[in-house]
Amino acid sequence: MTRYLTRRFWQSLLVLFGISLIVFILLHLTGDPAILLMPPDATQEDIENFRKIMGFNDPLFLRWPPWNYLHPPWRFLADTQYGRFLKGAILGDFGLSFRHQQPALGLVLERMPATVELTLAAMGLAVCVAVPVGILSAVRRNSSVDHAGMVMALLGQSMPVYWLGIMLILLFAVRLNMLPAFGTGSLRHLILPAVTLGAFSMARIARLTRSGMLEVLGQEYVRTARAKGLSEVRVILKHGLKNAAIPVITVIGLDLGTLLGGAVITETIFAWPGVGRLAVQAIANRDYPVVQAAVFTLASIFVLINFLVDILYTYVDPRVAYK
Amino acid sequence: MRHGKGWVWGAVLLVLLAPGAWAAPSGKVVVAQGVDPTTLDPHDHEETPAYNVLLNLYDTLLVRDKNLKITPWLATSYKLINATTWEFKLRQGVKFHNGEEFDAEVAKFSLERLANPALNLRMTALRTIDRVDVKDKFTIHIITKKPFPTLDAQLTLRGALVPPKYFKEHDKAFLARNPVGTGPFKFVKWVKDDQIELEANEQFWGGAPKIKTLIFRPIPEEATRMSALQTGEVDLATNVPPHLVKEIKNHPKVTVSSAPSVRTIFIPIYTVQCELIQGSWDCTKPVQSPVANPKVRQAINHAVDVDSIIKNVLEGQGIRTATPLTSKHFGYDPKIKPFPHDPAKAKKLLAEAGYPNGIDLVLNSPNGRYPKDKEVAEAVGGQLTQAGIRTQVKIYEWTTYMNNVAYRHGGAPMWLIGWGNTTWDADYTLTPMFRTGQLLANYWSPDFNALLDEAQTNMDPKKRLQMYSKASRFFLDDPPAIPLYQQIDNYGVSRKLQWTARPDERIEGLSMSLKP
Repeated sequence: MTRYLTRRFWQSLLVLFGISLIVFILLHLTGDPAILLMPPDATQEDIENFRKIMGFNDPLFLRWPPWNYLHPPWRFLADTQYGRFLKGAILGDFGLSFRHQQPALGLVLERMPATVELTLAAMGLAVCVAVPVGILSAVRRNSSVDHAGMVMALLGQSMPVYWLGIMLILLFAVRLNMLPAFGTGSLRHLILPAVTLGAFSMARIARLTRSGMLEVLGQEYVRTARAKGLSEVRVILKHGLKNAAIPVITVIGLDLGTLLGGAVITETIFAWPGVGRLAVQAIANRDYPVVQAAVFTLASIFVLINFLVDILYTYVDPRVAYK
Repeated sequence: MRHGKGWVWGAVLLVLLAPGAWAAPSGKVVVAQGVDPTTLDPHDHEETPAYNVLLNLYDTLLVRDKNLKITPWLATSYKLINATTWEFKLRQGVKFHNGEEFDAEVAKFSLERLANPALNLRMTALRTIDRVDVKDKFTIHIITKKPFPTLDAQLTLRGALVPPKYFKEHDKAFLARNPVGTGPFKFVKWVKDDQIELEANEQFWGGAPKIKTLIFRPIPEEATRMSALQTGEVDLATNVPPHLVKEIKNHPKVTVSSAPSVRTIFIPIYTVQCELIQGSWDCTKPVQSPVANPKVRQAINHAVDVDSIIKNVLEGQGIRTATPLTSKHFGYDPKIKPFPHDPAKAKKLLAEAGYPNGIDLVLNSPNGRYPKDKEVAEAVGGQLTQAGIRTQVKIYEWTTYMNNVAYRHGGAPMWLIGWGNTTWDADYTLTPMFRTGQLLANYWSPDFNALLDEAQTNMDPKKRLQMYSKASRFFLDDPPAIPLYQQIDNYGVSRKLQWTARPDERIEGLSMSLKP
């Protein structure tokens, strides 16, 4: 068990290091932030001056000649752009946002609660609706309940988030005047964005629960459980659901991460003050420190969730730890 | 009895009209813009959404009235002493929201902060200021490095007066979030990407505003912004898309307030191809394209039917222009008329230029930056193709467009752009867009350059007008662009709110009131 967790921990660190490299390279391939940050009528001189102050003229990975790094090697952390970024990532300091003139990590963290709130609400809603629907569909296979549930699931998976969000606003805010069209503040504000964001996961989990349950319910041990005279509810929940849960938990874990990072569209439609919207604006402005801080924070949470899911496996299915 | 009743009503009216009862600000107005400001440091941005919030918190020395005439504001008068020295008399008895007093030292500190390149502030337009001399407690002299005829136009927009003690005590990150000005509203709180709340400054030197609470909320998605307007969650929303103007106008609770925008849309045409040589741009080589010939550029202008584009693509939401300047810009010449739509003449000009079988060109355009930009580009492309100028339209996402096309001189031979020049002076359109050597310019004509350079430092307004008139003639004889149209800004406004759209995009809480 400990060996398994240690191994997963080191793997997670490696993943984070890989992410830091990819984010950095991709971002620096996309163009010059100096030119976007200065007003369009700024002179060449103003722009050069700005580049120098911001350190954009320093090398990305290596200052020639390489033997400079023999003594001391940590000079790399100070005089290259990647080195400074890596050092910052370890110390939790991603530098000042070019646009906001505020610490980048602070900007991300202050928007994190809104994103987490929305993600958890969406996922909570998805699980609460999808798991019962999935079970019911499996138990009443080929009944009208099953068909209705699966048609809903198909719709949920194929409706574009963007379209769904706007339709919900038009119906519930503009036509019926029941819910606010945008923003945060109360539970009522949370409903439309959570439904919009959760629809896809809801559909996926429902279908997965159904197929998992169908497979498990045909197993010998379920027949044994029934033969022992256990109640049907106990057979389905204890012997059925627990064994069908592994793929569902995997998907919930993965989707939770995806929802955190993928709430961008929902956040934009509902003017929800989350990390996704910040990240999109930062990408448009080539505000490197904010993009790096946002991606890195979200990636860390993603990795952490997967780590927790792995621990959860060992609880649901003890064989996992010994593989 | 009649007599008695009249007396009671008279008394009620008197109470209502008494200054104390009338002046107390009340009510709340929510304004929705597309994005949240990135900073509330009035010297460290160049963004319309930030201007709109900050102009309610901070004052400038001058302003433009609703007819766009330059008017003293925190200055009481100003005059030119010599080509590089301006004298400003300042308003007395003005206090900052934190109690600091406004005087000549404040003006000196504020303007010199903007003039100092070492501070790395993003507002660079006032770096032409050399220094500010304090003559007495309420008189300053602004000394510029070279003659700067547009200083007063600049000071209607830039150069917010900031409290020196407060700004010296705090760092940049703090100041970006905690603005303190002399303006009609005081800062209350800012929940990032959600809302900025301002409150009436009852001690405002120009009289308290009528609105008690002014809230700015960012709603990036157009459809949501319009929905929130219709549900009554916001009272004023920017950028009503052209196709919704009619629907919003007919709505029982909201309507549309429009103003011809400061922004014009046009398509610059390359005549030179700049090359990066040892880190700096060299713009001496003619572009390798038929458009190097002025006759071809005239043909292109004759081939485009701008009126039809305004009518059919923009649903009437545009005003045709003959140059990239609007009729309100200093330097506008009404004698210069747009090219008439004449495909036959376009073909004739092409033949004269040596291309009887037509030519092949590319038109680059952003998507989603201006209302219907992509559709306009596609319409232009179609009209050109019909006239024998076979045009391929290439569409880009905005940031990629600016970064990899516009700023790298990579948009040859034609690219679509919009320009909102809020100084209302021809200099800030013609120079950055067309003066050879500027980042966005790809046009070369020594006479045109000389005219712009001289107009930039000539202090005689009459002579400047003549120079810009001459420069504008180039749009007919040696066209550097296809001028298209001036946008119309449409704001969705609650019928409860009294407010009128301005052409300079300013959203002033001071001019708002709520109907009872």
